[in-house]
Amino acid sequence: MLHAAVLLPFLAAFFIPLIYRGVKQVHLGWFVLLVPILLFGYFLTFIKGVMQGVHTLKTFEWIPSLGVNVTFYIDGLGLFFALLITGIGSLVVLYSIYYLSKAEKLGHFYVYLLLFMGAMLGVVLSDNLFVLYTFWELTSISSFLLIGYWYQREKSTSGALKSMMITVFGGLAMLGGFLLMADITGTASIRGIIENGEMIVNSPLFPFILILVLLGAFTKSAQFPFHTWLPDAMEAPTPVSAFLHSATMVKAGIYLVARLSLVFAGTDLFFLIVSGFGLLTLCWGSYMAVTQTDLKAILAYSTISQLGMIMAMLGFGTELAILAAVFHILNHATFKGSLFMVAGIIDHETGTRDIRKLGGLFTFMPITALLAFFGTFSMAGFPLPFLNGFLSKEMFFDSSLHFEDASTIVEAVSPFFPYFAVGGSIFTFVYSIMLFFRTFTGKQRGTLSKQPHEAPIGMLLSPMILVLLVVIIAFIPDAFGHALLSPMVDAVNGSVGETHIKFWHGFGPALYMSLSVLILGTALYLAREKWQHIYKAFPGKLSAAKAYDGLINGLLRGSRKLTNGYMTGSLRHYMIYIFVFFIALVGITMSVTGGFQINYNDLAPIAVPEVMIAIVMAGAAFATVFMKNRIAAILVLGIVGYGLSLLFVFFRAPDLALTQLIVETVTVALFLLCFYHLPNFDKKKESKRTNAVNWVISISVGVLVTMVGIASHSTKLFEPISDYFLKNSYKLGGGDNVVNVILVDFRGLDTMLEILVLGLAALGIYTMIKLRPGKKEGND
Amino acid sequence: MEIIMSILAGMLFTAGVYMILQKQILKIIIGTALLSHGAHLFIITMGKLNRGKPPILSEGVTNYVDPLPQALILTSIVISFGVTSFLLVLAYRTYQTNGTDNMEKLRGNENE
Amino acid sequence: MSNLAILPILLPLLTGIILVFLNKRLPLVRLITRIMVLVNLAVVSIIAFNVIQNGTIVLKAGDWTVPYGIVLVADPLAMLLVVTANLISVACAFYAFKSLDEHRERYYFYPLFQLLIAGVSGAFLTGDLFNLFVFFEVLLIASYGLIVLGGTKEQFRESFKYIIINLFSSMLFVTTVSFLYAVVGTVNMAQLAERVGEVQQDGVLTTIAILLLIVFATKGALFPLYFWLPKSYTVPPTVISALFGALLTKVGVYSILRVFSLIFVYNLSVTHQILLILAGFTLVFGVIGALSTNNVQLIIAYNIIPAVGYMILGIGVFSATALAGTVYYLLHDMIIKAALFFLVGAMVAYSGTSDLRKMGGIIKNQPLLGWLFFIAALALAGLPPFSGFIGKLLILRGAFEEGHYVLGVIGLVTSLLILLSVIRIFINGFWGEPKSEYVSNGNPVQGKILPAAFLLVFTVLLGLGAEFVYPTVQTIADQMIDPINYIDSVMKE
Repeated sequence: MLHAAVLLPFLAAFFIPLIYRGVKQVHLGWFVLLVPILLFGYFLTFIKGVMQGVHTLKTFEWIPSLGVNVTFYIDGLGLFFALLITGIGSLVVLYSIYYLSKAEKLGHFYVYLLLFMGAMLGVVLSDNLFVLYTFWELTSISSFLLIGYWYQREKSTSGALKSMMITVFGGLAMLGGFLLMADITGTASIRGIIENGEMIVNSPLFPFILILVLLGAFTKSAQFPFHTWLPDAMEAPTPVSAFLHSATMVKAGIYLVARLSLVFAGTDLFFLIVSGFGLLTLCWGSYMAVTQTDLKAILAYSTISQLGMIMAMLGFGTELAILAAVFHILNHATFKGSLFMVAGIIDHETGTRDIRKLGGLFTFMPITALLAFFGTFSMAGFPLPFLNGFLSKEMFFDSSLHFEDASTIVEAVSPFFPYFAVGGSIFTFVYSIMLFFRTFTGKQRGTLSKQPHEAPIGMLLSPMILVLLVVIIAFIPDAFGHALLSPMVDAVNGSVGETHIKFWHGFGPALYMSLSVLILGTALYLAREKWQHIYKAFPGKLSAAKAYDGLINGLLRGSRKLTNGYMTGSLRHYMIYIFVFFIALVGITMSVTGGFQINYNDLAPIAVPEVMIAIVMAGAAFATVFMKNRIAAILVLGIVGYGLSLLFVFFRAPDLALTQLIVETVTVALFLLCFYHLPNFDKKKESKRTNAVNWVISISVGVLVTMVGIASHSTKLFEPISDYFLKNSYKLGGGDNVVNVILVDFRGLDTMLEILVLGLAALGIYTMIKLRPGKKEGND
Repeated sequence: MEIIMSILAGMLFTAGVYMILQKQILKIIIGTALLSHGAHLFIITMGKLNRGKPPILSEGVTNYVDPLPQALILTSIVISFGVTSFLLVLAYRTYQTNGTDNMEKLRGNENE
Repeated sequence: MSNLAILPILLPLLTGIILVFLNKRLPLVRLITRIMVLVNLAVVSIIAFNVIQNGTIVLKAGDWTVPYGIVLVADPLAMLLVVTANLISVACAFYAFKSLDEHRERYYFYPLFQLLIAGVSGAFLTGDLFNLFVFFEVLLIASYGLIVLGGTKEQFRESFKYIIINLFSSMLFVTTVSFLYAVVGTVNMAQLAERVGEVQQDGVLTTIAILLLIVFATKGALFPLYFWLPKSYTVPPTVISALFGALLTKVGVYSILRVFSLIFVYNLSVTHQILLILAGFTLVFGVIGALSTNNVQLIIAYNIIPAVGYMILGIGVFSATALAGTVYYLLHDMIIKAALFFLVGAMVAYSGTSDLRKMGGIIKNQPLLGWLFFIAALALAGLPPFSGFIGKLLILRGAFEEGHYVLGVIGLVTSLLILLSVIRIFINGFWGEPKSEYVSNGNPVQGKILPAAFLLVFTVLLGLGAEFVYPTVQTIADQMIDPINYIDSVMKE
């Protein structure tokens, strides 16, 4: 059943194109909507069990012999994410029905969306590392397709590529970490790994593993400096941004860190990296968000910053921090989801998302404005009792102040954390307020392509539900706390503590932090013209984006340069590479293994005629090198060949001698025939240097081959098998000439194939001569 | 004797390699021919040279040279012959279609 | 029973020879080719099934006692590769008459093609080192014939380089076989393994092993011996590129796999260390090559090289896991390379250029082509759940388990860059606005897509349905780790 649930979106994705083709009247989204709603209902049924600590585990054997099984596991953490994915998914699909007109390629859109939904469910429910990785990459792929949905646009495709490169990069790093973890613990099951967490933490490879896994989490959750793909991902249709790039997919990294907290948390390295990068991302994201002009870009940087905040809290690792983190995941999904939808509505109804053009929309779109109010003020952590964002922000401040039984490093670093927390939050406050006021109040600043008006109710429905949740959560946080958050903290932290969430914390440091954010934030917002220029002085203007572009372009340019540098197309160069490689490898191996040895004992006596022939042959061979005339060169080559056949005679190989004689004659004839058509030798001499290189290489090759030959001959370790041939040639082969018997009998297959080679050569020659491009066949 | 023959084969390799490093197609092909002579000489050397009768069975003789390398060389000679003839025709056609027999002018980077 | 082992060689061989004589009747030639590739696929599948169920079949050619005659050893590894080669053969046969011009078809494409398959199958099956040389020559000379088929000047230019380089390595091959014969006194692979094992690979044997490595590395396109590959694989017509890309380098890799798991396994710190280093460089330089060009066919051709790197990495690591990965990757790579060559071939045919900068928006009119390419690209980069993932996972797992962390990381980075190199084709070629004036002659693309789709089905099956194949591969790898299994199955016959 659980498998069927995860499979459902994939199945639906398969059938959607068919429905799309069949049913034209009804918007495709209505069919799609059934899927997340059904699944949401299904996952709701698990809440009760999970609250009582009942975890569900279902296994489907995929590649059991490899230990890769699709095991789905529902505990507090998995269930919460499953509900988030299907819940927000339902709202997004509903919203998309009004957002995307029927003229769009809806079939593609919903297929990608369903693929994503299934993949994301797979990520949060898988117990097997490699299955998790599989789904993880599938979310990257579906995100790639969704960002590139309007594939004619250059920006969409480059954004899609960027997101894919960065998230797949992280995914591969994560795979590396997974492989190491599986190797150390001997299991690929996450539960198994958590049980054996000690083994990983104590392994010398631990830092390596941690960094690899965190690379996966950080790239996916857009942590600094990998965040750069997320603003570019805003090229996707807005429902996608709301769903993937705010509520769910970017939280996969958070999920992973939370899931593996039981293994990693408690180590200083984990604390430093995760809190450090989290806080850095929080500050950088909110700082950058203030300077954006596109509504969606503001929201993108805001998402980056909020993800950083959640990440930081997971890094803190205290029970309070984790409760705050999971609480904020929920809250962020509600207010950010609604804000993205609002941004989409504004884009849809005014034709622009540029806040420099917008303004005074409150009069035209009061409901939208109201929704935006709740969203932005909750995001800002504005101290109002009906905003869930305030509650979690307060808990964040609180958690940045309290570190229990901390190690020395934690103690040394943690005092700085509250400042970062406040700093990031101030900017968060600024852009949230700015987003609201610049869009809805004041005067309209630019000309709009459409006359703005309120959106249709269907489009408003989804953000309304989310805003309603913002308020409800703020009023009854404990209900959510018990049902969803406690089991989740349990899964992340391994213990259930008190999860009472209250609005009023009393006069404490956290409240003062909130108040200073409020005051400083308001001041900064009002005085924004005065300090805007610091973005020029300290722009970091898309610095990570520049780094990415530089990397990719540098990679492409560098590879071109390098490859063209050695792939010259020159045969001489290629042969030089090969020979040099040969010399180096054989030389090294021989000296390392002591391969060279000479044995003077088992040798044939030296006979004068053979030596004479050898001298003539050697002379002739080198003469070919110096011949200026091609006919002379061929004839000298012939001398080598005939010399060889003479040697064969002396070496008791009459058949060979004969064959060599015939072949040599025919070859020389062929050479002469061919030379008739080819130009004479170049009279121009090669440079001294070229000749020197040639000589060094050719002599080295010759010497090495000779050495290996002598060494081989000197180490006859076994009797050759040829005695058998001599003994049995007549008896079994029926022939006196042993060589012939070997050829036609013992090794008949070789001979058959050698004839085939000749035939093939003939065929090749025939086609080369006969078939010429541009001519009619065979009239040559 | 085997050592002398190994050295001779090595020299054939040297000359062959040197020729292969030349520019003109013809010289390169001569180089390959030298290489194959060298290879065949190595093969026969790797059996036992000269110590025995030719491997044609006759009464009363018990000592023959190793017949297997000879059989291998025969196969190899025929194959080399096939390849060399193919190569010669290819050289001719390459020259004819490309208008040069200089391999340095046949780098072919234009479709990069 | 044991005679079955020759059928994978004999059937294409006879088909090829018959086709030479029927050459005048092209329709008949096409028909026979199509029937025979299917028959051959069916036959080898049955044999493979048989071998996997009942164990290795050893055929003593001419019925001579091992090791005096030539043996063909149809073990599970060889048969899996033969079956895969025949899958490629089927796809190529159907792609050929949709894509080749009639001249090329008439000038003995089909016979050369079938004889190439015979040579490849023979190389996989033979249990005799000299016979391996002969099969190499058969498949090489068939490839020479194919690479010049059509006679354009680029073809002649590149094939000359290709042939000279191969000629050197062939000469080195026979020379090395003779050296080996001098030391060990045999050319039968099982007996070689046995005897080399007895002396624990002493003295000059390691050097000889390295010579063999150079020979196979040249055929298998290892760093730094792959220079001949990219250009010479892209000048002939697509179907020939696909055949080469899928089969030829893999024979080289297979030979390395066989020789360095069966025979030379006693001085791992030299031989396999060298393999590891070469694998690392092959991965890096290969993928850099793939990023260096805008020619779509060259991108695919360059991508052959890092794939070889992965496989060699698995051999170098030399654990059962890694070897299983190499075998799996070998199967995957043969299929995916042919499919990718088909797909870019269709792209080039459709858009009339192979320059990525001049392409764009193809997916609008050719959605199926686009999506097949997308899947193929993901599979090539080794993303799950396609076939490339399983092999890569195993190889990397092996590398990490044996402590080769640097190479493991190189492997991971390489697969990201492979993805970049092919996804560039997807983004610039299929996405974006249409750019060039397309040459449209009827509907040339459809017939070219189907063979690719046929192959991609197997890519998906090898990924999602890994359980059907993987246990066999694991068994192969487990046996490969101990040469005695192969030696026994051959020598006891």
